[in-house]
Amino acid sequence: MSELKPIFNALRRSKVGAILLLLQIAITTAIVSNSTFIINEKIAYLDQPTGYSEQDIFSFEVMSFGKDTNFKLQAELDEQALRQIPGVVDAVMIDSVPLSGSGFASTFRLRPTGEKSKGVNASMFQGDEHVLNTFGVKVLEGRNFYQSEIMVTDNYEQYPNIALITKVMADTLFPDGDALGKSIYRGDFPLKIIGITDMMKGPWLSSERKDRSVILPFVMARKLTQFMVRTEPGRRTEVMQQIEPLMLQLDSKRVVENIQGLEQVKDGFVAPDKLTMRMLLVMVVVLTLITALGIFGLTMFNINKRTKQVGTRRALGARKSHIINYFLVESVMICIGGLVLGAVLAVLLGQQLMQHYSIAKLPLLYVGLTALGVLLISVCSVIGPAQRAANISPSVATRTI
Amino acid sequence: MLTMNKINKIYQTDMVQTHALRDFDLQVNEGEFIAVTGPSGSGKTTFLNIAGMLEPFSSGQYLLDGVDVGRLNDNQCADLRNQKIGYIFQGFNLIPDLNLYENIEVPLRYRGIKAAERKRRVEQRLEQVGLASRAKHLPQQLSGGQQQRVAIARALAGEPRFLLADEPTGNLDSLMARQVMELLEQINREGATIVMVTHDSELARRAPRNIQVVDGQLADFTLYQGNPAAAVGA
Repeated sequence: MSELKPIFNALRRSKVGAILLLLQIAITTAIVSNSTFIINEKIAYLDQPTGYSEQDIFSFEVMSFGKDTNFKLQAELDEQALRQIPGVVDAVMIDSVPLSGSGFASTFRLRPTGEKSKGVNASMFQGDEHVLNTFGVKVLEGRNFYQSEIMVTDNYEQYPNIALITKVMADTLFPDGDALGKSIYRGDFPLKIIGITDMMKGPWLSSERKDRSVILPFVMARKLTQFMVRTEPGRRTEVMQQIEPLMLQLDSKRVVENIQGLEQVKDGFVAPDKLTMRMLLVMVVVLTLITALGIFGLTMFNINKRTKQVGTRRALGARKSHIINYFLVESVMICIGGLVLGAVLAVLLGQQLMQHYSIAKLPLLYVGLTALGVLLISVCSVIGPAQRAANISPSVATRTI
Repeated sequence: MLTMNKINKIYQTDMVQTHALRDFDLQVNEGEFIAVTGPSGSGKTTFLNIAGMLEPFSSGQYLLDGVDVGRLNDNQCADLRNQKIGYIFQGFNLIPDLNLYENIEVPLRYRGIKAAERKRRVEQRLEQVGLASRAKHLPQQLSGGQQQRVAIARALAGEPRFLLADEPTGNLDSLMARQVMELLEQINREGATIVMVTHDSELARRAPRNIQVVDGQLADFTLYQGNPAAAVGA
């Protein structure tokens, strides 16, 4: 039995409660669809492959305070000692730690400064021929550095003229796939590309340059240095425990700090994103609960207000199913109104977020799925009260309430 | 038309058992107009509720138009109520959010009658109660008497064989009460069987047959035949 028209007419005539609920549903739809989209984006961001086996890699910093330390020699001694620890696959002294949010970046062009050419910004890693093995990253084309090509220095008088670049960077600068053997320029310095590496994310996961990195055969020995170590699977903890005693044994005039697994380094960088995601998640849950309670509450209120009316309808021949249908249809009607308004609001809100917070465009799929979810919640919230209404005795119609 | 044999209705609470109806026997024949009177709490409304299948009885047998009501499930009761019974309430019980047309349409929708036929019946009944021009009005825009006429139109729209009226004039002044009573009499003359509960002895006397309920039983039986004026003098 279709009661759409009289239910709609009845709603039009006592609309305050319905409008409030409609607005609540609209706001929930708008916020939840945008929030779930942002949450999904954050999850994708946090779960993106980095190219590293994060569980097997760790980094640490060494700060020397000895006045007569030969940093170049010490760097080589430190690296050798680290590589000899049982369980270590490889170790390297390096200027930037991937995924840490801290490092170096520069613009690399196809031509020297002054000549107009294509250029991209990329992260830079400076280290020796052990960088790739320590990172666990493969060379896809060309070769790794030879030991003889590494510059170990404590000043910038010399600068390398060869480089390894990531595949994404190679494809960006040389779309024809012929990057190997070509030169790129950092300012006026030419760098011949001798190898192209597999994926290895830079220090800034959120940056557009995250997949573009350049590795230079350059070891800068100085007071504050960073090391990265890759261990055999499952042996990282035991190796990490040996780091501080070993480094102090090699040179006691220094401090070893921030011994951290790579995933902890990453966690530190993505902490604000995780916080945002959790807050949004809480908001989605709370809003959804409030809406569900709102629908439940309004239906209960309506039933209490209309006890006699329900009794009268039953007395006039309504089956229990008619009463349940009545409240379901009424709720779905309000809900659909709220969802239509909510969908429009969601798109408008998405546009504002896109404009002000550089968030990607809200796909309509999210609005659709959220709307479907809200509709389901509405129906579920109203079933209980509607059943309660259906159980109102028709004899209520003859009693004075 | 309506036969009640030894109907008992017991309301049970934790502490108290109340016999609202006790071995209640009644036979109502087609076309009768019966007034049910009795003191407050005597069981009149309980009788009417059971007759209208608005509540179940504890024991006994109730046959409505040959159907044993005690054997019906909830849906069958609802359908039978919808088809055979028109109910007129003391408080009119119109649905405030629906206009007069939609109010009268309610039982017809539950019966699944098509829109064109609903329209015909609703308009016919609105015409009959003299409110055709007010179809789009809401109940609260009408006087009490007019509201009760709408309620009667609603009760009649389903063309029931049996009208139950619970103090139909209880909330009306004497002029409006008389108009409503005249309408009921007219409906009865047109063939409907009416059972009316009332406190008003004057109105009761206008019904050809009176029954009195005292302590849940049919205590007295008075039959007025013919001219209501004669009944007053009887």
